[in-house]
Amino acid sequence: MLDTAFEALKKFDWGSDLRALAPIEDAITAAHGKPETGKEIETRLIAAMKGELSRDAREYVCRKLANVGTAACVPGLAALLVDKESSHMSRFALEQIPAPEAAQALREALPKASGLVKVGIISSLGAKRDAAAVAPLGELLKEGDAAIARAAALALGAIGNVESAAVLQRTLQAGGGPSAIIDALLSCAEALLSSNKLADATAIYKAFAQDHQPRLVRLAANRGLLACASKQT
Amino acid sequence: MLRRISLSVLVLTLFAAMSQFGRADDKSSEELVKLIVKLIGDPDREFRAAGLEKVRSSAKGAAATQVFAAQLAKLDAAGQMALLNALADRRDSAAKTAVLDLLNASKDEQVRASALLALGSLGGVDDLPLVVKSLTAASGPEQGAARRSLVQMSGDTVNKSLAAELKIASPAVKSALIDVLAIRRATDESPGLVAATIDDVAQVRSSAMSALGQIGRADQIAAILPGVLKAQKGGERDNAERNVAMICSRIENEDERGKRLIEALNTIPAADRDELLPLVGRVGGKTLINFVGDIASEQDPARRKFGIDALSKWPDASVADKLLEIANKTADPAERNQAFQGYVKIAATRDNRSDRQRLDRMKQAMKASRTPDEQLLVINRTRTAYDVEAVRFILPYLEDPQFAQLGCETIVEIAHHREVRDPHKAEFDKVLDKVIAVTKDAVVVDRAQRYKRGETWERPKK
Repeated sequence: MLDTAFEALKKFDWGSDLRALAPIEDAITAAHGKPETGKEIETRLIAAMKGELSRDAREYVCRKLANVGTAACVPGLAALLVDKESSHMSRFALEQIPAPEAAQALREALPKASGLVKVGIISSLGAKRDAAAVAPLGELLKEGDAAIARAAALALGAIGNVESAAVLQRTLQAGGGPSAIIDALLSCAEALLSSNKLADATAIYKAFAQDHQPRLVRLAANRGLLACASKQT
Repeated sequence: MLRRISLSVLVLTLFAAMSQFGRADDKSSEELVKLIVKLIGDPDREFRAAGLEKVRSSAKGAAATQVFAAQLAKLDAAGQMALLNALADRRDSAAKTAVLDLLNASKDEQVRASALLALGSLGGVDDLPLVVKSLTAASGPEQGAARRSLVQMSGDTVNKSLAAELKIASPAVKSALIDVLAIRRATDESPGLVAATIDDVAQVRSSAMSALGQIGRADQIAAILPGVLKAQKGGERDNAERNVAMICSRIENEDERGKRLIEALNTIPAADRDELLPLVGRVGGKTLINFVGDIASEQDPARRKFGIDALSKWPDASVADKLLEIANKTADPAERNQAFQGYVKIAATRDNRSDRQRLDRMKQAMKASRTPDEQLLVINRTRTAYDVEAVRFILPYLEDPQFAQLGCETIVEIAHHREVRDPHKAEFDKVLDKVIAVTKDAVVVDRAQRYKRGETWERPKK
């Protein structure tokens, strides 16, 4: 059954009957909590991806690797990262693979990518809350492409650690960077508050609670300050 | 020795660390209170709301509460009301003095109302006389707030104190206090409510009856019956009977219900007992049918009148045959009228019978009718049978000018029900065309046209 399904995958394209691939789905479901079985399916999916596949079939493989993928499938997915057509599904898989190699592949693809593909990779690094990406993302805050600079700020906010907050604060104090830096810093403060780094969170909120800040920023900062102070008592 | 010294050092270190922690905690708490105070004084509503949210739930302790409450005097009216609500939700009585000060000082009735409401959460028995006094305040919002405050006020002796106030209060206050006791479900204080059922003021009596309808017990029925007799005939008496019937309805067993009511009736002087028969009718049940039925067939016309009245108030159609029998047998036109009207009313009651059963009763009534007025009564009441057969039954009366208008009204009433109309659309369309041609009432024409188009009609509010 599974062999037939993998054979069907080779010819699979838009409009094909998805039921032909059902044994692959069933095998993945059955592999839950069984790393050895998962590994076998991953190996077959990697092999399939190396062959001639339609775009739809390749995207199918990416979706399944998001469920069972490990470090082993990262090189195959990384090869798709800078390709405009397949970058999105490759990132979809890499975002969900917990192996550190997945984040590394995303970081390594950064200098090779441009435009919207780069924006996507930056967002994936944010979604993975990859602490090692803070420095390269910090560099991107100065990018001339506003979309990239904005994505970098938001990704740093999503990472939400002391280092990413420091990078954002330095850029803000220097008067550069996109306007999304304020949102990003407030996200950082929220993450710091959640992880009980109250002094760091309070410092960010205090800066934004000043009278010269826009109303909604002040409101968010004051709510944050109240949350910090409540947590301390 | 060395071990003892080590232990002492450890304890001292721990103590020092804990006191350090305590100081840090105090400082944080101070900062939180300061921030909340700043926000609740902000003219921007959203900033204020952020602070008030924390007044409700954070910075615990009486000291913080007093700091928050002290801000009341510094705020505008809207801010005062918002803070009073937050302090009420905080439920710390440390705010009470500031709330009372504001209640006395404010010239704004809405602020005073909020303060009174806050006392419901923050105050206790000591504050009760002040809140009770506000039940007769000049402003409506204060009266309402005082009432809600008394409903909310907690404490073991609050109900007792309210009942004590009830004994000395003015009629207007009495009525409000009775309502409060009922909402508080102060069953222990119901003797005070029973006493109020024979008050000299009708409003007090009515409130007491309504309250007992909610919290009265079966063992109090006998004590409440003098109140029913004291109630003025008409609206007050109806209200009293309805509420006693509600108490009776809490006795689940039907036979027991009848038995308890008869026992209660026997405590009333025989001369007054007949006046309570309509109440018996409202309670209904097999045990009481015979009790009332015998009286309705007695020699004494006055007693018979009470009996028929009681049967006419029965909650279901189980007494319909008895009423029809009286209507058919009597030679007295007034009694015939009373019994026939009662029969048609009972037969048309929307109880658990089917629409077809209701219609059969209407057909039976039409056969038994002797005058056009009685026929009109039947045509009118047939509208409670939501059945196409009811339309077929009424349709011929559209040919007779004296019945046509009421017949049209009955037909559009039945046609109003889509579930009756839609399965017989072709037939209804024809009948409604006939109604449009016959009626002279523009509203009936409009309704008939709407139903033909599959539309609905909104009944004007009374």
